Amino acid sequence: MLPLDPTFFFTQLANALIIGVIYALMALGLTLIFGIMKIVNFAHGEVYMVGGYAYYVAASLAGIDVYVSLVLAIGTAALVGLAIERFLISPSYTGKVEKKDEYTILVTFGLSIFMLNSVLVVFGPWPRRPPSYAPGLFTMGTITVSLDRLVVTFIGIGLLAATLLLLYRTSIGKALRAVSQDREAALVVGINANRMNALTFTLGCALGGAAGALTSPIFLAYPDMGTFPGIKGFVIIVLGGMGSVPGSIIGSILLGLVEVFTSAYIPDPRRAFAYRDIYGLIILVLVLLLRPSGLLGEKGRKA
Amino acid sequence: MIISKPHVLVALALAIVFPFLAPSYWTHVMIIAYYYALVAASWSLIAGFTGQFSFGQMAMATIGGYTSGFLSLSLGVPPLIGLVAGGAMAGAASYGLGYLCLRMRGPYLALTTIAFSECFRLVMSSEFEVTRGTLGLSVPPLFAQWGTSKIPPYFLMLAILGVSLFILARILSSRLGLFFRSIREDEDAASVMGVDTTKYKVLAFTVGGFFAGVAGAFFGHYLQLVSPITGSLGEMGLVISMVVVGGTESLAGPVMGALMLEGASEYFRVYGELYKVLFGLLMILTLRFMPRGLLLPLLKRVAAKIGPQLGVKAASAEPIR
Repeated sequence: MLPLDPTFFFTQLANALIIGVIYALMALGLTLIFGIMKIVNFAHGEVYMVGGYAYYVAASLAGIDVYVSLVLAIGTAALVGLAIERFLISPSYTGKVEKKDEYTILVTFGLSIFMLNSVLVVFGPWPRRPPSYAPGLFTMGTITVSLDRLVVTFIGIGLLAATLLLLYRTSIGKALRAVSQDREAALVVGINANRMNALTFTLGCALGGAAGALTSPIFLAYPDMGTFPGIKGFVIIVLGGMGSVPGSIIGSILLGLVEVFTSAYIPDPRRAFAYRDIYGLIILVLVLLLRPSGLLGEKGRKA
Repeated sequence: MIISKPHVLVALALAIVFPFLAPSYWTHVMIIAYYYALVAASWSLIAGFTGQFSFGQMAMATIGGYTSGFLSLSLGVPPLIGLVAGGAMAGAASYGLGYLCLRMRGPYLALTTIAFSECFRLVMSSEFEVTRGTLGLSVPPLFAQWGTSKIPPYFLMLAILGVSLFILARILSSRLGLFFRSIREDEDAASVMGVDTTKYKVLAFTVGGFFAGVAGAFFGHYLQLVSPITGSLGEMGLVISMVVVGGTESLAGPVMGALMLEGASEYFRVYGELYKVLFGLLMILTLRFMPRGLLLPLLKRVAAKIGPQLGVKAASAEPIR
């Protein structure tokens, strides 16, 4: 394994893009929720886990076709998101809680404990391997990538593109962006902000659930599978500029590249694996300290 | 104030006779509960009173544990001195974290402290040669001369908790406590009124970190094991649920929350992780429907109802501000 071997380099590049796309699904959901509702969903990693387990239940236990299972898993995550928004988040907009920021932080954190341990009690701590979307290998020249990962990447890109189309090419998307820019002004022109909140949270959770369902055949489904993807999502929305959609996608690809290449070129493999999750955390702290507006965020934002 | 001197004395008397009446196993459970009570009370100083929702408190406890552990392993420092050293180290680390997060509010503070706590846990888990990784570091016991009896560590932890709560209560009822609360209520307004918010925020972090460090150092020596799992977000969630359920706006809340939940977790332990599901649910419901906490306000209501019948003057229902 030569460090500058081109085959090794391009294989790693392919891996980085795959991870980047999955991160982008997580981060786009978090970004929408933060941009429009101004809250950080600390249970987003657990929504990802719900997507993974819903796919496992549908595809492995019920034996449903993998692609139908994927749709079912996304639907489950969306419903979970809708329920969370209706029961726990919407009270913070109608003045039923005193401190919105603290309330949403603690309640979503409590929710993540609840969801993670519920799955632990029901399914046990053992990792599950749901069926692959496309078994086999894909070879191009000297680069070999598993077909599974390639298919997952394309589905991921498709979902990202669909979300962007919804945001920038439909009237609903326009309304969402209006609420994100100025909530009061949006209310004045007759946008139902309450409905937009529910839609945002549902959509954000659907994207998170999709990420979990897509990766579960590759990285397996286990109760705390969402902890690090969730944290990576936070890193990316901070890096990209909280609430910035293009920033979150660029941030995802960047983080994927940083993680794969730093791990690939650290000589001690055990350390390389263990420290893979640390770079993002360091990036998070550095960005918050040095450039709190992130890469593409609004200037003058206070952290 | 609902918690008055007689309440404290009765609680203390019960705590003193407890280990002589209860089986040794429940003495052990109470020691763990006191440890959580101290961490919960120290977190409540930073989050409940000063309004800085940091998620790094269990990392501070773990720093205390490792500091005391390394000191006793490499220099032979007795654990009792290690407790203070662990507290000092955690206080220093917490000072640093507080300083780093000075300008951050709400979700940004939460994200940064989560990042700090996870970085620390990952490094401690990965540097196997120094820390023995997730297996945990074996450290000497508190009282080697008394064997496995639970009574000496019980009274040590009770004394630590009592003294710490006394100090914390004195701080909170002084001018300093008023400054802390003014930052929680409205940081900008406090600053305009002449409160040096920078200084007092960092001070809250330092004091809170110190007590968490002492608790963590005790916990390490008591179990004779310091493990990075102590600093995980799951443990942090447990402590937060104790504070939320107990009540965030007094010291008695976190302590009662810790005693109740740790006791309940032992009761439910036969059902595996079910207790964490219940705690998570209890935390969500408390936040949603009883934002001032469940246990302490409930107790207040009961006291207000049955107090007059017993001829006791009803305690003020006003929350401590």
